Amino acid sequence: MKGFHGIIFAYGASKDLGDLVRERTSASLVFCGRFRLIDLALSSLRNAGVHNCGVIMKRDYQSLLDHISNGKPWDMARRDGGLRMLPPFGLPGYHRGDYTGTMEALNAVSSYVHDIKEDNIILLLGSACVNIDLDAVIKCHLERNADVTAICTDRELAGTHHRYVVGEDGFAKALRFDRTGGEGVCALEGYIIKKDVLLEMMDECREKEQFRFHRDCLRNYLENGGRINTYIHTGYASIIRTVEDYYIANMDMLLKKNIYEIFPADRPVRTKHMEGVSSYYGEDSKATNSLVADNCIIEGEIENCIISSGARIGKGAKLKNCIIMQDCVVESGCELNYVIADKHVCFEAGAKNIGSPSHPNIIPKNAIVKADK
Amino acid sequence: MKKNCIAMLLAGGQGSRLYALTQNVAKPSVPFGGKYRIIDFPLSNCANSGIDTVGVLTQYRPLQLNSYIGNGQPWDLDVSDGGVYILPPYQSAGEKGSWFSGTANAIYQNMGFIESYDPDYVLILSGDHIYKMDYAEMLQAHKENNADCTIAVQQVSMQEATRMGIMNVGEDGFINEFEEKPKHPKSDLASMGIYIFTWKKLRRYLIEDENDPNSSKDFGKNIIPNMLNAGERLLPFRFSGYWRDVGTITSLWDANMDMLSIGNIDLFDPSWPISSRSPACPPHYVGENASVVHSILTEGCTVRGRVANSVLSPKAEVGEGAVVEYSVLMPGAIVEEGAVVKYAMLGENVVVKAGAVVGADPDGSENWGVATVGPDVTVRSGAVVAPNAMIYSSEEV
Repeated sequence: MKGFHGIIFAYGASKDLGDLVRERTSASLVFCGRFRLIDLALSSLRNAGVHNCGVIMKRDYQSLLDHISNGKPWDMARRDGGLRMLPPFGLPGYHRGDYTGTMEALNAVSSYVHDIKEDNIILLLGSACVNIDLDAVIKCHLERNADVTAICTDRELAGTHHRYVVGEDGFAKALRFDRTGGEGVCALEGYIIKKDVLLEMMDECREKEQFRFHRDCLRNYLENGGRINTYIHTGYASIIRTVEDYYIANMDMLLKKNIYEIFPADRPVRTKHMEGVSSYYGEDSKATNSLVADNCIIEGEIENCIISSGARIGKGAKLKNCIIMQDCVVESGCELNYVIADKHVCFEAGAKNIGSPSHPNIIPKNAIVKADK
Repeated sequence: MKKNCIAMLLAGGQGSRLYALTQNVAKPSVPFGGKYRIIDFPLSNCANSGIDTVGVLTQYRPLQLNSYIGNGQPWDLDVSDGGVYILPPYQSAGEKGSWFSGTANAIYQNMGFIESYDPDYVLILSGDHIYKMDYAEMLQAHKENNADCTIAVQQVSMQEATRMGIMNVGEDGFINEFEEKPKHPKSDLASMGIYIFTWKKLRRYLIEDENDPNSSKDFGKNIIPNMLNAGERLLPFRFSGYWRDVGTITSLWDANMDMLSIGNIDLFDPSWPISSRSPACPPHYVGENASVVHSILTEGCTVRGRVANSVLSPKAEVGEGAVVEYSVLMPGAIVEEGAVVKYAMLGENVVVKAGAVVGADPDGSENWGVATVGPDVTVRSGAVVAPNAMIYSSEEV
């Protein structure tokens, strides 16, 4: 769609994600064994024909850079425009180290925002686990002649969030900050905002030394008489802020309905090309209710597991309810239950590791887990 | 830009012995081994051997092949000063265009392409072989021995030798005789259809052959014998790794089954990746009542039934209670609930409806064989496709 420009917020690394974001941001978390969370936002833009997009990042972005590169998988490697990675440009007197809010992040790249040629800007959260039909959002935004359109979900989101109380005309009657459920629909923290309006919002927040999007910027906007249109997304949606969010969102993909909602055939999720061999199942393997990416060799038993590319599951190993990231090696005879193993973890033969549904054990990147003697 | 060696990949043949599977596509673009198409092997070998300029000669049903190869990016062949080029037959000013009349004629017609790189050597490849081979080693042997042509050969049994092109080697280590399908083979070295020529020599023989009205314009039948007769230096290059010609239904099925034993060809070896163009799909899903044993599965597959000793390509699906054994499911093939598929190959987007049966276990009878269902065919519910059957259209089932 011409006239629309994407901005993805990929700087966040919620501390409640613990070791999972030690060397990456939430947006570059591995999702469903094959993807990174940010693939969803990038693919949503691409599937709506939006080819110009800025990705705002702050630090620990090596893994994000590796993954996104020039944006080719999302058709964003363009002669003009295309994908731009946006580290902080600096803004004297306003910065306070890490971005404390969306408005601070936007102001830190304000020259980029000023130079955007399109009239409307689509703001998306890199850590949202949702496949948004942006064509439909854009249509709603244009039809209602809105300055600001908030993307909401008809589902309840876990944890802290903002809620819109929606009137019959589809515009918000109120934006609630109490975050405790109740009246209204949950905000997915995705917006379409007219560029001029966004620039005014950014200026006002800078003058007032305000940093937050909902609490400061949108409250100012509503107080000044602005109106916020809402679009309700139906289908799977989650925002990944905690280990539990992460674990549940991955495990939810084992249900047919959810996986079809996140990976619909007409809005495919694209990701970095990976050199791939089909996965191989040995003669004694046993697999049930699991998702397995390519490049894996499965010789043991897996049940309710998400196995990423390049994993090796040895003979006699038993894995239940686990998320295994790229290139992990689980040697023979291991027993794992409720474990999230980050990239390149090795479980030596006979190792045993049992977490719990509410607190899966996280094994950090490159760790070696030995068997108890 | 001058190149030391460029490759010419013969991908124009119909592959008529694959019958229904090559009704609408050229043989090199037939799916293989889960993620691959046959042409991935020579293209990857080129890239891995440091050959960055490949001309792909197409003729029969090239559409899918063209779109599959595209700019060559999956094989890292999207380079400046080279890369992968699709070379179809073409018309020239004042002449009627002509199809490639043989393998040698195909190269002859594209001499202009070759000369634009002014190469010292030209590597001639086929688009229907499954193997991993370092062409750089072969080129090294060619140079060291000051050969005019080097032919990759593989040792085969004397029985197999009667069905192949056999190279007899003299005491000097060079080939002194070439026999096509000899009744009484004198050697067990079979040609693999992979040649390196010193370009200046080949150029001369191509022009001579083109002017011979009795020639069938074929490398094996004309160029190689002509060079031998003229006393050129033809070097055999022995290759002992896995190599299969997959030009027939049986050999294609066999080679797919070979992929189930990692010892045959190690596709997991990161130092020699075989690349392919594939859409990013979610990981494959294995359902609650599913069982998967000794098989290859690929992204985008869904298995809710039983799969054993089989090869599944992207987006293949096996429904609840269905059984798939010793079979090859090509991309998008769907086996619905309760259907049984044994010793069969299902082409792209085949649908085997609920309760249908395709193929059967070997029963020792002469008529038994692998059942093949051509692309886009729907096998209706309750239908039975006999072993050894070849199904071209939905009307038949």
